[in-house]
Amino acid sequence: ASMSTRERIKAIQKMPETMKKKREIRNSLSEHFHQLWLWHKTLKIIGGEFGTSVLSYFIFLKWLLSFNIFSFLINFSFITVPQFIAAEPNNLSFTGLELLTGAGYFQQTVLYYGFYTNATISKTENGASYNMQLAYIFTVGIYFVICLLILLFSMAKSFCRNFINPQTYSGNASKLLCTWDFNVTNEKAVKLKQKNLSTQEGLTDVNKEVQNFSVTERLVHILLHLGAWAASLGIAVAACSGVYFLSINNLEVRTDFAACFWRRIFPHGCLSYTKCKLWSVRSNMTNGHPTIVPSRELTQQLSVQLLVLFLCRNIILKISIIGILCYYWLDIVAESKSQCWETLIGQDIYRLILVDFIFCLLGSFFGEFLRRIIGTTVCVSLGVPEFDIARNVLDLIYAQTLTWIGILFSPLLPGIQMISFFIVFYTKKVSLMKNCQPPRQVWRAAQMTTFFMFLLFFPSLIGVLSVIAVTVWRLKPSEECGPFRGLSSMFAAVSEWIKILENYTGSKWVVWIYNNLITSELFFFILSIIFLIITYLYWQIIEGRKTMVKLLRNQIVNVSSSFSFILFKTQIQDVHQKAETVGFAVPGRKVTWRGSRNHDEKTHHLKESSMPPYSYVSLCLYIT
Amino acid sequence: MGNKQTIFTPEQLDAYQVQNKLNGLFYRYRDLAPQLVPLDYTDKPDVTLPYELIGSMPELKDNPFRQRIAEVFSEDGDGNMTLDDFLDMFSVLSEMAPRDLKAYYAFKIYDFNNDDYICKSDLEKTVNKLTRNELTPEEVRLVCEKVIYEADLDNDGKLSLEDFQHMIIRAPDFLSTFHIRI
Repeated sequence: ASMSTRERIKAIQKMPETMKKKREIRNSLSEHFHQLWLWHKTLKIIGGEFGTSVLSYFIFLKWLLSFNIFSFLINFSFITVPQFIAAEPNNLSFTGLELLTGAGYFQQTVLYYGFYTNATISKTENGASYNMQLAYIFTVGIYFVICLLILLFSMAKSFCRNFINPQTYSGNASKLLCTWDFNVTNEKAVKLKQKNLSTQEGLTDVNKEVQNFSVTERLVHILLHLGAWAASLGIAVAACSGVYFLSINNLEVRTDFAACFWRRIFPHGCLSYTKCKLWSVRSNMTNGHPTIVPSRELTQQLSVQLLVLFLCRNIILKISIIGILCYYWLDIVAESKSQCWETLIGQDIYRLILVDFIFCLLGSFFGEFLRRIIGTTVCVSLGVPEFDIARNVLDLIYAQTLTWIGILFSPLLPGIQMISFFIVFYTKKVSLMKNCQPPRQVWRAAQMTTFFMFLLFFPSLIGVLSVIAVTVWRLKPSEECGPFRGLSSMFAAVSEWIKILENYTGSKWVVWIYNNLITSELFFFILSIIFLIITYLYWQIIEGRKTMVKLLRNQIVNVSSSFSFILFKTQIQDVHQKAETVGFAVPGRKVTWRGSRNHDEKTHHLKESSMPPYSYVSLCLYIT
Repeated sequence: MGNKQTIFTPEQLDAYQVQNKLNGLFYRYRDLAPQLVPLDYTDKPDVTLPYELIGSMPELKDNPFRQRIAEVFSEDGDGNMTLDDFLDMFSVLSEMAPRDLKAYYAFKIYDFNNDDYICKSDLEKTVNKLTRNELTPEEVRLVCEKVIYEADLDNDGKLSLEDFQHMIIRAPDFLSTFHIRI
């Protein structure tokens, strides 16, 4: 009881604001309790058995799903529902094959751009009218602006919370005290984590020497790296040219599903080949030297490097393929004389998404299910597989990029992607529970999530926005179908509307904004200059604060070491005084002070303590 | 969840500042011992659940630090928690809690002897709990020395709250790992 009152008094006196903060959090916690209901139980089970790192994949999937749900809802309500009112009847027949090819019956449905009317829809004569052209372009435009803002803020918030300080991460102290995963609630998983931690700690203490590879070994490593890079870049180039030539030759036979399938197998085959190469490199580097047991830091450094390399190669391959496809669509399909080129692109993207979905499921089947069978029966040394977080997240980002490109050409595509994400979630969850084991090595979930969000923003969303911008501003819409038929570009719908608005005095401000802010280059130029100046100022502030932090750290070290110096000196003084009282004369010896341990950084700063605290100086003067 | 109606006074609701969304956590608390916890909280009943019940919750039962967690958040320091303590515990361990608050409570959890410093004996106990006593005493001692060497900025041989908070900056995962989902 005495401890409790003492603790309570201390808690109240020391941090009165924590109480208030606790209240606030408690309130917001209960509010959010109901918002997370979708899959809440499932996520809890996954986090409990496999830890935070695997859980981060599923949370990322759920986050992407919310983008698709939002897009589907606004597209459906603002574009599709009015279209139903002004729909033309569909004369084509439905065979089951359309689900795979996306063509045929679906061509005359609301699924594709081509079906939408360019008329101004009105239910009654002289009633309220609904301008389909403006609705289409504004819905898609506003959706992308909102996506951009959401991504920017999430990324900034994530980066702020998980600030990556690369040189100080390899701290053992933080690894010990700050990385125990409180989420893990499964008894087996907890025991496994403890075992991993104990083996890692044991290894570090026994083998602390840095591994010095000999010159030949280093050369071999460099050659292996170069070989892997050359192979993956070569495969990327081969895949892209293959995709390009297949697409060119396919222009006449548009509904050839097999060609599309082949176009997709090739990149996936290349990806798996690159991964095999990568695994062989990794095994060469860590297992090729049976006499040296690598220390934990070295293995972790190597695995981080290998992970980054794997990610880079994968990203380069995927970006180049999407780049080639976009070039093909925008340059060749759009300029071709075929009817309704937007619908053709929409069908292409539909097929790509479908094949990607099938491959995702197959990947789960082969990568996890078969691998577990092989690992437990045929070749037991391989063991049960771990869930490959990086590869799965990159697949998600690729699928989302395709969906974003396709929104302009097929407004209901996010709905299809929504269904596919649902199925992928449950498939991955079942596969994870049955086939995988919890990850053995530390996966920096917070930093990797920030990195994946950045990937979603930078190559993915920015690329999609550029593609959409080119389509809307530069390309001529097809003559016979779609809401923008007959116009010189999709954006011409907006300029025509502005011309109409000029005749109304009430909307003069809209016209003014359009002429002077949106279409004026001077405005954007000035805006960019202002942003650059603000960025530069913030950068300088950060640099100044970094220097300040360093100086303050030195001060702490100096103050603490000065106190121990003073203590040491007073002890020597005592000894001298006692010796004198007894009658011994102690020869004058210079007391050289050394730091209590050989801290390189601390002694270094001691030698050049450029800002000794005032108290230190005064006490030294007093003693000497 | 049940269809029974929980009863709180308006002042209590005000203090908690939620409507019936609090019920989720309250029902979890009540489910531990339905015969002890009344549905009607208007007269502020003095109900404390013993540590054994708290420690048997599925979210906590396999956590090696469950005893320390219960001790830190309980009023009497023995692990016996009132509803208030229970709500505090899960709100600090939720995603919404700021980093400083989490660091403060994590520090208190690892401080086994409650002297406001994580000394060597505290670290040894932590390491043993984290590795299920599988390391030899020599290895445990080495690990503890390494941790103090790295994290102790003011050279007093033990970690203060400021040293601990400085260390947290290097572990951005801390916010997501020091988190229990309910």
